[in-house]
Amino acid sequence: MVRIKLDKVTKQFGKVVAVNNVSLEIPDGKLAVLLGPSGSGKTTLLYLIAGIYKPTSGRIFFDDNDVTHLSPSQRNVGLVFQNYALYPHMTVYDNIAFPLRLKKVPKNEIDKRVQEIAEMLRIRELLDRYPSQLSGGQQQRVALARALVKNPSVLLLDEPLSNLDALLRIYIRTELKRLQKDLGITTVYVTHDQSEAMAIADSITVINNGVIQQVGTPSEIYDNPRNIFVATFIGNPPSNIIRGVVERQNNGRVCIKVANGVFYPDEILSGKIVKAGIREVIVAFRPEHVIVAKEPLKDHLAIEGEIYAIEPLGRETIITITIGSDIVKSVSMVKEALTVGEKIFININPKRIKLFDPETELNIEYLE
Amino acid sequence: MMVEMTDVETIGRRKYTVILGLALLFASLPLIMVYFVLIASSFANTMLTGASLGGIKLTIENWILFFQGKLTTTAGKIYETTDILKYILNTFIVAIGVAGICTLTSTLAGYAFSRIKFIGRSFLMQFLILLHAFPGVALIIAVYSIYVYTKLSMPQSFWTAYAFIYVIIARAALEVPMSIWIMKGFFDKIPWEIEWSAIVDGASRIRVWREIMLPLVKPGIAAVAIFSFLAGWEDLIYVLVFLPPTEKTLATYIESLLAEGSLEFIHLPVVAAAGTFYLLPTILFFIFARRLMLQTATGGIKA
Repeated sequence: MVRIKLDKVTKQFGKVVAVNNVSLEIPDGKLAVLLGPSGSGKTTLLYLIAGIYKPTSGRIFFDDNDVTHLSPSQRNVGLVFQNYALYPHMTVYDNIAFPLRLKKVPKNEIDKRVQEIAEMLRIRELLDRYPSQLSGGQQQRVALARALVKNPSVLLLDEPLSNLDALLRIYIRTELKRLQKDLGITTVYVTHDQSEAMAIADSITVINNGVIQQVGTPSEIYDNPRNIFVATFIGNPPSNIIRGVVERQNNGRVCIKVANGVFYPDEILSGKIVKAGIREVIVAFRPEHVIVAKEPLKDHLAIEGEIYAIEPLGRETIITITIGSDIVKSVSMVKEALTVGEKIFININPKRIKLFDPETELNIEYLE
Repeated sequence: MMVEMTDVETIGRRKYTVILGLALLFASLPLIMVYFVLIASSFANTMLTGASLGGIKLTIENWILFFQGKLTTTAGKIYETTDILKYILNTFIVAIGVAGICTLTSTLAGYAFSRIKFIGRSFLMQFLILLHAFPGVALIIAVYSIYVYTKLSMPQSFWTAYAFIYVIIARAALEVPMSIWIMKGFFDKIPWEIEWSAIVDGASRIRVWREIMLPLVKPGIAAVAIFSFLAGWEDLIYVLVFLPPTEKTLATYIESLLAEGSLEFIHLPVVAAAGTFYLLPTILFFIFARRLMLQTATGGIKA
């Protein structure tokens, strides 16, 4: 097992910069998720680690070995493609045995290892079948078995769950997480699904336009987004965003006016806003931190709005509220009876509010 | 009034199928009749020429005479024997040669065009279409002059063999452009991921081509092999121009039988047998290739 280190890696396709100056370290035995929207460069980054693409500049290390110029097979990586890429003309057994045959492993040893891995992934009874005779979930297991059978030092998974139906996805997600922990294999997992990332990751790397936006544990990413992109990409529904105006007070601190409401950021934040000379901020808060009430609550940012839509989901209800031209979503267990068109107050605890500089889009907490 | 409900699509389809079928039947009737006359005559004691079938007997004598090479008569029932088996063999040599060269070059070039980026790739692709559009006859003078020039540098004992090699290569060259296009299409359909997967598993490029790609383009290889085999089998002009007069293929032989002046020396039902035999590969390939070409291995790949 190895630690993966990317050092200022850039990959260009013609004039398009797919991965831009990425430095990243993935500790030994951890599951790191590369998360980003489609076209963000996350798969390119995975292929760079696999060795399918060669970086335009920068270097890639496995432990202390520079693997930048090594071929994929020399890097000893196991790769599961989004479409699984099983060999259609080979049986499941031959698919799994293929990497071992290429390594010229003796026949009885191949058989032993194929049986072992098939046992582990519970696909023993499928060994004689062809890929076209398998369901999506089974194909996925075969692809995983083929990647793992050569005892790779790194396991790379490209959107492994995206072709499965919703129920199976949640089930296999759990299985994958457990399997990774049991094997203790360094794993890079690419996905565009933020809830999948939150559920499975030891660490999440958020990527957009080929640039790393934030690296952190799932809770760091969720609770403390470094910029507006991360705040609005993570969470379902994502963070609400409204513009606010900064006003200086006589005591040297600031207050922030948001639509028809006002709130007072804490001392540290206030100091940072003053120091940076920010006059306008982007106010962000999560839907689950919005308390919908008929009255404004004390010590909360309370804004009056109108209910636009109510979507009950069983466990919770999504309420969409319009405040002028802004739209705010709230997720909560609703106790009161509400009707569309009703005037209500949304109340947010100031501790839950994140402030961003509209120019740099950075979280003001992260400013020096 | 109650109208029975039916699926809209089903009504339309059935009606069209009948109309389309009938239209096709009438359109191809002349062609079907000609082939029928040919094939039926090869089993009859005389050539079928009219609607009346009176006095016609079923026989396989024509086929026996054909394989014995007794196609032309000198007087009455005394036949002049030709080495028909040699002509059949020649036809196979040319056809298999053309098919072999075409299949080999197009599977290699098709892979390259599909998978490897090189300078002039798209220009060459377009150029291939142009090459295919050139009629073979237009090139024959240039091809012939090269033939004569190169032949003279060979020892005379090698001339016949050289003629065969030359005709095979020249004829194959006409088929290669289209074959490359066909193969490229088949390679294009295989997702990159399959190839990458094999490379990550530790296979070399050549090995990937041989063990992963080739089995997946089998239907394409079959298509190219069949088309080029038939091209070689059916070729008349190149064989006529380059092979020495003693070395005939079925095409040139049948042509020589019907050539001016020789018509009165031949027994037409035997020629019908020769013609029917000459049709066989096309018929056989139609029967076997139909299913082969439709059958493509898919699965294990989710788009």
